[in-house]
Amino acid sequence: MTFDLQRISESKRAYRQALASRPIAEKLRMLDELRERTLAIRRATIPPNPASNIVREPPRPYPARGTNKK
Amino acid sequence: MKISEVIVTINQMQTDGVIGTYAIGGAVGATFYLEPVATLDVDIFVALHAEAGSRIVSPKPIFDYLTTRGCQMEGEYVVIAGWPVQFLPPTGALVEEALSEAVTMDVEGTSTRVFTAEHLAAIALQTGRAKDKARLLQFVEAGVLDAKRFQAILTRHQLLDRWQQYERQYLKDSK
Repeated sequence: MTFDLQRISESKRAYRQALASRPIAEKLRMLDELRERTLAIRRATIPPNPASNIVREPPRPYPARGTNKK
Repeated sequence: MKISEVIVTINQMQTDGVIGTYAIGGAVGATFYLEPVATLDVDIFVALHAEAGSRIVSPKPIFDYLTTRGCQMEGEYVVIAGWPVQFLPPTGALVEEALSEAVTMDVEGTSTRVFTAEHLAAIALQTGRAKDKARLLQFVEAGVLDAKRFQAILTRHQLLDRWQQYERQYLKDSK
């Protein structure tokens, strides 16, 4: 156990790299599990929407052609 | 609830001629290059074509195909193997290019097409929500972007100014 923030940060980075380098099938299984956990948390904390039994993200605003310029 | 089953279903749709070329984008696409991050849905990009005798591009054949196979519709999503899946047409030049240049990946013997890391990062920059900016940072920190290729995409799609602004905001301190 350490309270050295730099070491903690390096350790986290190394762990993320180790996760990223796992086989893709394994990472996809992790996504399945992460989604199940997210849903369980949401079910426990957010009142259910009576119109839907599926939790989903708000639509992503993929920009239409020619909208890059500010 | 399995993404691998979603991939098998999408491949079968392609084999059956319901969709043409497709590619996985969004957080699931990013997972092919980065550590997994929780997401609630799957973005599948497909080139949609107008039905015979119509000028309107419609996802109806996709929905018809899947609902006859027991999948539920939920708004703009179809639920496949427990995952809400959104079929998205390329809405701009960047996503069109991402779809045409997507790469084939192998998932335990099943092949699938995924946007390149550089296109996913450029789309995240273009989309620009907080979580897209966070994902872009993941791509940069993971060192998975081919700088030359990424730069070329940003130039082609007029995203250089936005990238410079992003660099100033999020990357300068870490250099």
